[in-house]
Amino acid sequence: MATTATLTLASTDIAGDPVNVSKVATLTKAGSTNELDQSSGLNRVHLRSTTNKVLLAANAEGNDLAAKVYIINKSDDASLYLTVTINAQTIGKLYGGDFLFIPWSQTDVDADIEVAATNWTSSTGDIPVEYALFHEDTDFLTNA
Amino acid sequence: MAITNATIDLASDITDSALAVSNTTELNTAGTTTGVNTMTSVTKVLSSTNQVDLITTGSVSTTHAYVYINNPSTDETQYFNIAIGNAGAGSPTDTEEIGRLYAGDFMWFPWDVDDDICITPSTSDDMTVEYMVFS
Repeated sequence: MATTATLTLASTDIAGDPVNVSKVATLTKAGSTNELDQSSGLNRVHLRSTTNKVLLAANAEGNDLAAKVYIINKSDDASLYLTVTINAQTIGKLYGGDFLFIPWSQTDVDADIEVAATNWTSSTGDIPVEYALFHEDTDFLTNA
Repeated sequence: MAITNATIDLASDITDSALAVSNTTELNTAGTTTGVNTMTSVTKVLSSTNQVDLITTGSVSTTHAYVYINNPSTDETQYFNIAIGNAGAGSPTDTEEIGRLYAGDFMWFPWDVDDDICITPSTSDDMTVEYMVFS
């Protein structure tokens, strides 16, 4: 039971020499080499709210446990963006096609991950958002 | 303008039906199809458990950037708390923790450059962190 995340960054012209960075991470439980064993699976929603909506609700029990979050803005419109926040702290904007992959501490129940289609209007169309959560949990043990 | 691509591949067999996700995006300036043209690549060794600014807003001249942070440690007890806010204000409460980068973990995210990206090592042993910023 393993989950791997691979990030590749490549450019032939952002520097004088080509840039090619490739990183593979095997997702493990907090402070151990045991692999993460729970997943939300891949989800898809269509966002049209200009105000924050909870995409992933924090569980304070998750504090000190490992969790990884993947979110992608599947819009083809490069100008349409999602604003991603944790506990009202803006992290950044995912423009059309952009994705993030971050660890998530869930330091308390206010540490929800929220998204808003900040520049959505009725004429722009909805923003398709796909996301997945990989995590561990003290209540639902699968390989203890 | 430069063309820089970021690709993520996720593979998981946690569930009975395996998950495989692959997506590539071109790193563009905010809301455009114009590629970013600035890259910073840094390796630092931290030797204290104090929270410090890792990437400051003053180091980037735009309001939209992409950030890669990597914990290359192979010791599973060595992790970094990554937060966003202003550690320079002297209080950790001025920051919101995003998550912990355990040994071998990386993170990739867009950054709106409103607040600094802060880091707290789990131990005072020399811990190496690597990061890149595209803007």
